Amino acid sequence: MDDLAANRIEVKGLTMAYGGDVVLDALNLPIPAGRITVLAGPNGCGKSTLLRAIRRLHAPQSGQILLDAEDITRLGSKALGRRIGLLPQSPSAPLDMNVEELVRLGRYPHQAMLQPWSPQDDEAVSRAMAGTGVEALRRRRIGSLSGGQLQRAWIAMVLAQDTDVICLDEPVNHLDMAHQLDCLELVARLNRDEGKTIVLVLHDLNLAARYADNLVFVASGRIREAGNPELLMRADLIAEVFNTDAHIITDPIHGRPMCIPFRKG
Amino acid sequence: MTYMTYRPARAGIGPIGVTALVAAIFVLLFLAGIGFGSTWIPLEHVAHVLFGGGDKTERLVVLQLRLPRVAAAAIAGGAIAFAGYLLQRITRNELASPGVLGVVDGAALGVVLFMAIFSNETNSLIVSVAWQPLAAALGAISAIGLVFLLSGQQASTAIRLLLFGIAVAAVCKALTTIFMLVGPIYQASQAARWLAGAVNTINVTEIQLMLLVLVPTGIVAAIAARHLPPADLDDTSSRSIGLNLPAYRILIFFLAALLTAGAVAFAGGVSFIGLLAPHMARLLVGRARAAGIAVSILLGAIILIGADLLIRVAFAPTEVPAGTVTALIGAPYFLYLLMRKDKNNG
Repeated sequence: MDDLAANRIEVKGLTMAYGGDVVLDALNLPIPAGRITVLAGPNGCGKSTLLRAIRRLHAPQSGQILLDAEDITRLGSKALGRRIGLLPQSPSAPLDMNVEELVRLGRYPHQAMLQPWSPQDDEAVSRAMAGTGVEALRRRRIGSLSGGQLQRAWIAMVLAQDTDVICLDEPVNHLDMAHQLDCLELVARLNRDEGKTIVLVLHDLNLAARYADNLVFVASGRIREAGNPELLMRADLIAEVFNTDAHIITDPIHGRPMCIPFRKG
Repeated sequence: MTYMTYRPARAGIGPIGVTALVAAIFVLLFLAGIGFGSTWIPLEHVAHVLFGGGDKTERLVVLQLRLPRVAAAAIAGGAIAFAGYLLQRITRNELASPGVLGVVDGAALGVVLFMAIFSNETNSLIVSVAWQPLAAALGAISAIGLVFLLSGQQASTAIRLLLFGIAVAAVCKALTTIFMLVGPIYQASQAARWLAGAVNTINVTEIQLMLLVLVPTGIVAAIAARHLPPADLDDTSSRSIGLNLPAYRILIFFLAALLTAGAVAFAGGVSFIGLLAPHMARLLVGRARAAGIAVSILLGAIILIGADLLIRVAFAPTEVPAGTVTALIGAPYFLYLLMRKDKNNG
């Protein structure tokens, strides 16, 4: 990892609570610029809450989140919308909306009150649709798309938003294997070609290890460990965080660490 | 399947064509509403008078006797329909409407309280009737505010919002009845007719008051409606693309409550127009926003003018409140929507 100046986002002493339950407990996390950071951890560890806090969807009880060294609470709704995009786990739109309409909504934070739709907006929408391969679907209704097409349409919407930081909450959850790979390859390409800072929540630890530059293990509302997947994919650490025994091997194709979970006896 | 439901029915003429067609129907019905009465005045005469011509008798009949009633129906129907449009879009729920969310009954309670507090033994108000829309607005805003507070975090989920809306509406209705029965209202029968929705007793001053409230509110609402498209998405997505949804939702609820209150304050509890008109508009023009608003307003006006006209044709000389007719059409439509299994968001 580079030095601190290369952190796009810094989470400092973040405590989040719902009702009386503390979900995140004085959590600190730097998120490097232009890298793919993957948050992983067992159910209920707080990784989704962390992602949503980074996008300011929940107010923290204490602590702060810095975006390029600036406290995000100082930004207006639209200003933040131009800088951090987030795709939730189960986004929804009216079924009779078409794909292009959906993608165009991504331009919302770039539009001023009386300013009409601009050529830049058109360009961003075209680029987002081209980048995700949904141009041919532009007149199709949301309700008529398959799961994989729908996910690409939503990613195109977030892409049209043209933010430096893109957060995706379990983007491959409801997809089959082929579409999971397509989706993550798309994300990796955005990172590589456009230098986007990506923050992902992924359940599949092997996919996480394959795509992450920076893997973050979240456990009981704290960061257990963060860094290069090579360093984190250890049997003892996985046993502690995920409560399962695991055997670590090297993925013969990508050379990344892989884990095979098992239960003793 | 569900996503077929809202394909604009007249794709051939497009949203603008449909809007023009509905506008033409509105104009014809408006003129017919004035023309019809104890003596029939031909439509071209009505139009002539409205543009400043005609003889003295015709002018008196049209401008003093018949225009207020039809104009009030048009304004009130349009305003409630606009409120319904806003509520259906912001809650992403086609079952939402001023009536279902307690706004109509809240406004009614406000007016009845107002009458109870500010009338004397001789059956007249001791303050200006100009305060009546304010009372209705306070009632309407309190009701929708309460619904919103009770539904809390899940305010956008359909079932909670509707259940709390129906509960609050029921409480308001019960309180209204109690105040009419035990309160010092000497106008109880008048209030009862008003509650059912009646435009027959309206006068020119009241129409001016309605316009004074509804025109500015309508303009603000039309401007605010520019931000409706991002609110079509789920809460998280709409906030992620930079809409301040919690604040915006309150603004839209507030504007819808004001529109409803301005209409209900004078025209009474005309129910179901806020449900019917926007839903039909969506069937006609699909998701187009400007056309959706225009067609909703026009249909709202058409329904209430039509209901009032029907009463005059079918029940004359008995004055049946127009709200009973809209309820007779609206309630089955509401049931039909409730029983449809499909959902509209995915």
